[in-house]
Amino acid sequence: MGENGKRNTRVGIYLCDCDGKLSKKIDFSKVKTVIQSKADFEYIRVAKRLCGPSELQELSEEIDKYSLNRLLIAGCSDPMINRRIVEVAENKGIVRYFVDFVDLFALSEGKKDATEDAIASVNETLDLIGMKADVKIEELDVVPDVLVIGCGIEGGVAARAISKKQPVVLIDGGLEVTDGLDLVKGAKNLTVKTNAKVLRVSGFPGEFLVRISENGKVIDQKFGAIVIALGAQPVYDKSKYGGVELGGPVLSLSQFVKSRPECAGKRFTFVLDKADQDSLISHATVLREAVALKEQGAADVNVFYIDMKVTADHLEQMYEKARSVGINFLKYVDDLEIRTTSTSATVRYREPFLPDVGIVEVTSDYLVLAEDFVPFSVTQELAEIMELRLGPGGFFQEDNVHFLPIKSNREGIFFVGSCHGPIHGTELTREVEAVAAEVGRFASGKVRVPALQPRVEAEKCAVCLTCYRSCPHKAIEIVHDESLNNMYHSAARMHPLACRRCGTCAAECPGKAIQLPLYTDQEILTKTKKPPTLVAFACENSGALAAELAQKLDSQFQEKFKLQVVRVPCAGKVDVIYLLKALERGAEGVLVFGCHQENCKYIWGNKRAIKRKEQVRKLLEDIGIERDRLEFVHIAANQGNQFYDAVKAMAEKVRQFGTNPGKVVR
Amino acid sequence: MIVAERKPIEKILEMVAPYKKILVAGCYGCVTVCLAGGEKEVGILASQIRMARSKEDNPIEVLEQTVERQCDAEYLEKFRDNIAQVEAVVSLACGIGIQYLAEKYPKTPVFPGVNTLFLGANIDVGKWEERCMACGDCVLDKTGGICPIARCSKHLLNGPCGGSQYGKCEVSKDVPCGWQLIYDRLKELGQLDKLKEIIPPKNWLRAKGPRTLVREDLTLER
Ligand code: SF4
Ligand code: SF4
Ligand code: SF4
Ligand code: SF4
Repeated sequence: MGENGKRNTRVGIYLCDCDGKLSKKIDFSKVKTVIQSKADFEYIRVAKRLCGPSELQELSEEIDKYSLNRLLIAGCSDPMINRRIVEVAENKGIVRYFVDFVDLFALSEGKKDATEDAIASVNETLDLIGMKADVKIEELDVVPDVLVIGCGIEGGVAARAISKKQPVVLIDGGLEVTDGLDLVKGAKNLTVKTNAKVLRVSGFPGEFLVRISENGKVIDQKFGAIVIALGAQPVYDKSKYGGVELGGPVLSLSQFVKSRPECAGKRFTFVLDKADQDSLISHATVLREAVALKEQGAADVNVFYIDMKVTADHLEQMYEKARSVGINFLKYVDDLEIRTTSTSATVRYREPFLPDVGIVEVTSDYLVLAEDFVPFSVTQELAEIMELRLGPGGFFQEDNVHFLPIKSNREGIFFVGSCHGPIHGTELTREVEAVAAEVGRFASGKVRVPALQPRVEAEKCAVCLTCYRSCPHKAIEIVHDESLNNMYHSAARMHPLACRRCGTCAAECPGKAIQLPLYTDQEILTKTKKPPTLVAFACENSGALAAELAQKLDSQFQEKFKLQVVRVPCAGKVDVIYLLKALERGAEGVLVFGCHQENCKYIWGNKRAIKRKEQVRKLLEDIGIERDRLEFVHIAANQGNQFYDAVKAMAEKVRQFGTNPGKVVR
Repeated sequence: MIVAERKPIEKILEMVAPYKKILVAGCYGCVTVCLAGGEKEVGILASQIRMARSKEDNPIEVLEQTVERQCDAEYLEKFRDNIAQVEAVVSLACGIGIQYLAEKYPKTPVFPGVNTLFLGANIDVGKWEERCMACGDCVLDKTGGICPIARCSKHLLNGPCGGSQYGKCEVSKDVPCGWQLIYDRLKELGQLDKLKEIIPPKNWLRAKGPRTLVREDLTLER
C-alpha cells in the first residue's frame, strides 16, 4: 500500500477478443469473473478489438481515468500491435517495461477450450507484475531529427513517412541512385542532400553526432536516429543464362524498367527464376510490367518461370490478372537455351507437361532477364563507420531469429528495405511503418525511459574498457566528471537509450563495478544461497521459456531433479562467480542455458557464456573437481523436451560422480 | 600498464597449505585492468581455494578484499583489520604491490597470487603485448617509436641480427622481428638515415643497485 492507502501498483487488465476470433475457445466473461476475485489490479475489461483506433483511444483515456501505471494485455502477440499499444501507454507515461502481454492465440493453440489456460496465464503475469521493482523513469532530451540514408524508392518512402512527424535529412549515401527523390518532392520538414556521405558517427541514440561530406564540404549535424535505406543493387550475371550478353534485343530487368522500349505490336519474353531465387522482387516486377505491356498494346508477352511465387501481398491477384489479359506463363524445368540475332531472341525449352509437344521455341523482339540483388558497395564502409554487423551475402542484418529486420545491433540505427536483403511491396510498407513508429518516439524532443540500464560504481571502476569493448550494442561510454570518485575521475556509463540490458558488461567487469537493475549480483547470489542439487542459469529468451515448457510437460520436474532455475536476461549475464559460487555452496551440477549459435538476441552473449563455462571448467579441473559438473546447453524457447533431457542427463551425470567434493560446508 | 597473470592454483594451494584462515587481497589498479587481480579475480581465487581445501577435508576460511592500489601505503592501510584476523595473505597485485604489502605487514606472510609479466598494451579484451622494459634511457626517437629492447628478442640496440627472415624473428615465426618493424616504420617516416647512427651500450642505471626516483623539486618536506 502506498500513500493514502492507495496501491502504488495500479494494473489495468485488457482481455482482447481479437474481433471474435478468440471467444471461440476462451470464455472471456468467465476469465474476467475469476480474475476479478483476485485483488491485485485496478481495472479490467474485455475488449472487442483493442488495436482499433477507437479502442486505443479509450485505452488512453482509461489510463488517466483509473490512474493506471501497469498494463496487462491478453490477446494476440502481433509485434506491430504490441508496439502500438506500448506507444499509447508510453504517451501516458507507462513505460514498456510495465506493459505485459499474454499471447492467447499461443496458449489456445490445439485446444478446444483454453479458458483455464488463459486464467492461469493472466494470474501468473499478474504475480510477475506485482514482483516488478519500482523503476525510476528518466526523461531525456533528444534530437527529433532523423537521418535517412539512400535516395532510392525505399529511402524516399521512408523519408516521406518519417517527415510527417519530425524533421528528416535525406542523403544519397554517395550512391547515384535518386529515383526516390520524386516521392519526397514538396514534403515539408525534409532536406535532401545529394553526393553526400556519412564520414563518422559518434554519440548515442537521441543524440548521434554525424559527420557528413556534401559535395566535398564537411558538416557535423546531430540526429536522434538514423535510418539506412540504401536498397540493393541489381546485377546481371550472364553465367546464369548460358553466357548471353546484354545488348540488342536482350535487356536486364532493371534496364527494361528504366527505359521501357516502344511496345505496340512487339513481342516480349521475360525469364524468371534463373536469378534472384530468394526474393519476390523480380516476380512482382515482371507481373507488373507484363500486364502494363499487354495493356499498352504489346503483341505477345511470355513469362518463363520455374515456380510462380505468389505467396505474398497482392501477387496472387496480379498473377490472375496477368493470365486474364492473355500473358503466356511457360513453366520450364530443364535448362533454357537462348539464341539471339540483332533484332530478336529465341528461347528453346522442353515443355514439361505435354510430352508430345517436346521442344518449343519462343521468339520475341525483346528478351528481359531477371537479375540478382547484391548490397551496394558502400554497405561495407557504412557498416564499419557505424559499427554495424553484416549478414549473409554482405547485406545488413544477421541471420538470427531474434532480430527484427529493421533493428540493427545498435539502438537508434534502423534498416528499411532491401539493404538488409531484398524485400518488396507490403513488406516494405510494414517496415516503413515500424521504423516510423520507432523513430517517432523522439519526435517530441523528449523521451521517457525506465532507468534500467546497468549502473557503475565509480569507486570500483578502473576504466579498463573491458565493458566498453564487450558491449554488443555500443551502448557504453567512458565519462569524465570530477565528481566520480576514483583516481581517474572517470567511469564507464551505460547509455539509457542505447543499452538493451543484456548484462554482458556486468559479467565481464573485472572490478565488479557494474550492476544491472533487477539482476544485481546480490539478488542472484542471494537466490542461489542454498542451491538444491542442480542449478540452471537460463536465458529469458530461450532457456527460461524452455524451462516453463518442461514444467508444463511434467509439473513435478523441478522437484524431481531438485533443480533451481535462475532467470537471466541473457546467457552473457552469467558471471564466472555465479557458476563457482553455486558449486561452492553445494550444488552438484550447474547448467547454463543460452540461445543457439548465432542466434543470441544480444549477438554474442551466448559465446561469452561458453567462454566462461570453459574458464570455470578449467578452474574446477585444476583443483581436481569433475569439470563436467558444469555444462552449457544451446536451446530455443520451444525446446521444452530438450531442456528436460539436458537436466536429466546432468542429474544422471552428477549421480555417477557422487557428492561434489568442493562443497564448502558452513 | 603492468600486465600480470594468475598463478596456477596448485602453486597457490602449496603456499597456503599450512593455514586455516587467509586473505585474498586484490588491487583495483593495473591488475584489474589486465583481468588478473581485481575484485572479480579475488572472488574466483577465493572460491577455488575454499573448494580445493574442502575437497581435501581441510577447510579454510578465505576473506576477500580489494583496494584502490597496493603500491600506495595509504590504500594498504585499509587491509589492516582483515590482516589482523588471518594467518597469511595472497596478493593479486603486481610484484610491486605484493612486496609493498609484505613490507607494510611484516608479521604476516604475503604470497604472490600472480606472475607479473611485463609492461604492455591491452590490444583487445584478453590480449596484451609487451611494449617497454623500463630500461631508464629511452631510445624511441631513434627507432621510429618502436622499442628495440622490448620488441627485439635479443634486446639488440643496433639490429637486426642474422636471424631476421621475412619480417619474422628467428625465435618463432609468430614473432615479428622488432628490427624489421623499426626499419619499416623509419622508412615510412623517411628517416632511414637514423639507422646509420650507432646506439651506444646502455647505462641501465644499475650502477647504484635497484633504481629509485627522487625528485627534489617535488618531494614534500614535512
Ligand atoms: S569493465 Fe568495469 S572496471 Fe572496466 S571500465 Fe567497465 S565498469 Fe570500469
Ligand atoms: S547491458 Fe548489454 S547492452 Fe547494456 S551496456 Fe551492458 S553490454 Fe551493453
Ligand atoms: S600494485 Fe601493481 S597492479 Fe596495483 S596499481 Fe600498483 S602497480 Fe598496478
Ligand atoms: S630476429 Fe629481429 S627480433 Fe629476433 S633477435 Fe634478431 S633482431 Fe631481434
